[in-house]
Amino acid sequence: MTSRPEISPPPGVRLVRKHHLLVRVSHWLNILLLAGLIVSGISIYWASPIYRHSPDPQTGNTDYFADAGVWLCAHVPGMHGYVSPPDWIYNHFSLGPYMLAPAMRIHWCCAYLFMVNAVVYLVGVCLGGEWRSLLPRASDGSGALLMAKYYWGAPFALLSRRRRMPPHFNSKYNPLQRMTYFSIPVSGFLSVVTGWAIHKPMQLSWLAALLGGFDWARVWHFWLMCLFISFVVPHVILVFADGWDTVRSMITGWSKKTGDERSIP
Amino acid sequence: MNSDENGAQSKPAKASLPGLESREVFPERSPEIIEVTPQVVRRLTRRDFLAFGAGAVVALGVAASQLPPGTLQRLGLKFWPRNQWLLNKAQRVDDDVAELLYSPNRLVPTYTKSQITPLRNNYNGATPDPGYIPRWRLTLDGLSSGLTAVLDIQNLLNRFQIHDQITRLVCVEGWSAIAWWSGLRFENLLQAYPPVSQAKWALIESSVNLDPNGNPDPYYVSLDLLTARHPQTLLATHYNGQPLTVEHGAPLRLIAPMKFGLKNIKAITRITYVKDEPKDYWAERGYSSYDGI
Repeated sequence: MTSRPEISPPPGVRLVRKHHLLVRVSHWLNILLLAGLIVSGISIYWASPIYRHSPDPQTGNTDYFADAGVWLCAHVPGMHGYVSPPDWIYNHFSLGPYMLAPAMRIHWCCAYLFMVNAVVYLVGVCLGGEWRSLLPRASDGSGALLMAKYYWGAPFALLSRRRRMPPHFNSKYNPLQRMTYFSIPVSGFLSVVTGWAIHKPMQLSWLAALLGGFDWARVWHFWLMCLFISFVVPHVILVFADGWDTVRSMITGWSKKTGDERSIP
Repeated sequence: MNSDENGAQSKPAKASLPGLESREVFPERSPEIIEVTPQVVRRLTRRDFLAFGAGAVVALGVAASQLPPGTLQRLGLKFWPRNQWLLNKAQRVDDDVAELLYSPNRLVPTYTKSQITPLRNNYNGATPDPGYIPRWRLTLDGLSSGLTAVLDIQNLLNRFQIHDQITRLVCVEGWSAIAWWSGLRFENLLQAYPPVSQAKWALIESSVNLDPNGNPDPYYVSLDLLTARHPQTLLATHYNGQPLTVEHGAPLRLIAPMKFGLKNIKAITRITYVKDEPKDYWAERGYSSYDGI
């Protein structure tokens, strides 16, 4: 090299800070913890399902998840030879049947780490100031409706090769995101509360009573799990649909979308 | 082009128009924009991807090592090294929390007779033949007297006051039943036959238990004496106002509603008071040994 042509510094890359390090760490850790809680939780559910019917005259099953396995193995091609159809759901979405003791240990372990992780997350949103972007606003109802309409139309627009502009909002998150990202931590809190009511129904009997009793606490806990699953599926689809920048921002913390082109999911 | 911090920040500030947002109690801050060279972007990206990637590999490896063998086998990770340190630690933490939550003064909820629900015979194996009942004796060991006491059911019924209680029995599996029990308080037995002074635990055994094939399978539980002394911990002799039937552990069973049902041992034949935590049937099979709920 004989010459140094660059006298002025190279053009800079403009980045916008999106997620505090603690938020990113807790986000990824949460995937593992939620997965652990769900698979061990379904193994615990297996021991005494909350939704059951009178014994089936043919199989003797009382559990709807067992029925679902039997149905799948009877009707889905390639699954006819499955060894134990009633266990199919438990073999694929939990640790497996007859796993109550290890499932409980895993559930407690993940549950304590989940509570620690919640604190990490809360510290992160406070330190990064992100909590301001997550608070619901008065106008969020109509805004969220607008976004939902846009998402419903998106697959059809894609098929008909029509270009649609997403509704624009002058904030870090759109109203639907804000509502979701606010209610998911609230649901996490409720999962912890219902979990304690089930875990210590005697010493914390007031908590179980608050939730309608021990059996109702189990029902709430079950449906909160369903809520997490119903959040995760569209969340993952939308993040990847929005693009690499959004996925990367949960690892590096910054986004290259600094101006008008705001992130969607 | 010079990277001008102020210039970089002025643009988004312009973008946050005086709309609805500005009327919020806690308005969002304008985005924090930094300007860096492409080299710095690459370095930061590489650093974060490596760090998070390494973290993910470690976390997944540790998570897999906690799984039970059957699950690992189904995942095709048959030879993955298993290390239960984390799970055992969590179980100990959970048991410590359960012990902290326990208070000898806190009573568990009681119910009325109209709230009673059916209670299933949940003998783990086969239900024993009732032939043992006429010959039944309770043996007490580890007493301060240094002697062994042997009592029959009439001794117990004549000597101790019988208390009624309608409480919920919660199974480790998740189901529960509200049942009406009557019996003597464990505390009263402890007063009448005091254990050795260092004793902190009771090993409660039933020699009549059977496995599912009907072969002898003695059952035993550990019970901390703090729980044994709770006013609602009964040595029950009656269920629904009638003497216990063989299904419910005739003639004497433990009712400790602040423990899972698996501690509520049926057909007790021996109680031994000991200093160190004794063996426990279900703890040996992977469950907690404290089981406080």
